[in-house]
Amino acid sequence: MADLPPSPDANGNTDVGPGRELPPGIPRWVKVFGIAALVLVLLVIIIMFVSGGSHGPGRHIPSGDASSHMPP
Amino acid sequence: MALVATSHPVMLAATCHHSTWGATAMTMAPNLRKFVLTAHITSSLGFLGAALAYLGLGISAVTSEDAQTVRAAWIAMEVIGWYVIVPLALAALLTGLVQALGTPWGLFRHYWVIITFVLTLFATVILLLHMPSVSALAEVARAADSAALGRLGGDLFHAGGGLLVLLVITVLNVYKPRGLTPYGWRKQHERRAAPQP
Repeated sequence: MADLPPSPDANGNTDVGPGRELPPGIPRWVKVFGIAALVLVLLVIIIMFVSGGSHGPGRHIPSGDASSHMPP
Repeated sequence: MALVATSHPVMLAATCHHSTWGATAMTMAPNLRKFVLTAHITSSLGFLGAALAYLGLGISAVTSEDAQTVRAAWIAMEVIGWYVIVPLALAALLTGLVQALGTPWGLFRHYWVIITFVLTLFATVILLLHMPSVSALAEVARAADSAALGRLGGDLFHAGGGLLVLLVITVLNVYKPRGLTPYGWRKQHERRAAPQP
């Protein structure tokens, strides 16, 4: 967030048009981003199932509860 | 959000205006805004850099055949995780919230701000849930023999995934792709319609 948002009064170059009465739809980049994120999440879930439900380094821990470990 | 806006000392220097996000909103003074922005950039890029260092240690743990190197890498990953990555993640999240709510960007007005916030929150929660496992692995590495050390891996999945998320956040923050939410559009519409003082 390095800058302030563009002012609609300054350049008229925002998503609010002068005669616009309805809010704009969801931008295409948001839809593409959402689909890509969904595919990635599904991929991770599938990998987790294929690898036996564990994906983290905790699967190498021979015994004991990893959640009981705190900062050194 | 309101807690941040009302209880944080920086807000003492802020000015109030109405109907921005709810009843009353704060807009930070320019000097204060730059200070918070500096803190946000520093913590966010520090988070990214520390995650890169963590990945480097993880790669070293996977590729090295020297037991001492693997052991040292896991111990360093634990230390970096708790004492560098976790504080920077929390700082990036907090300063990002203050920055969003204390400027006209808002938190719910632009899609890129919402996505950035959700991804940062997601990365921080996963990090906090994952760090106890890293500590457990470092504990194992301290006492393990060479064969056991070879089976520890390098936590590359989390390091790589985390880096990907942080890079996406960085790109969104730099490019700021256009797109107002219905809420943001309504607020901007109201501001245009309001009589100028």
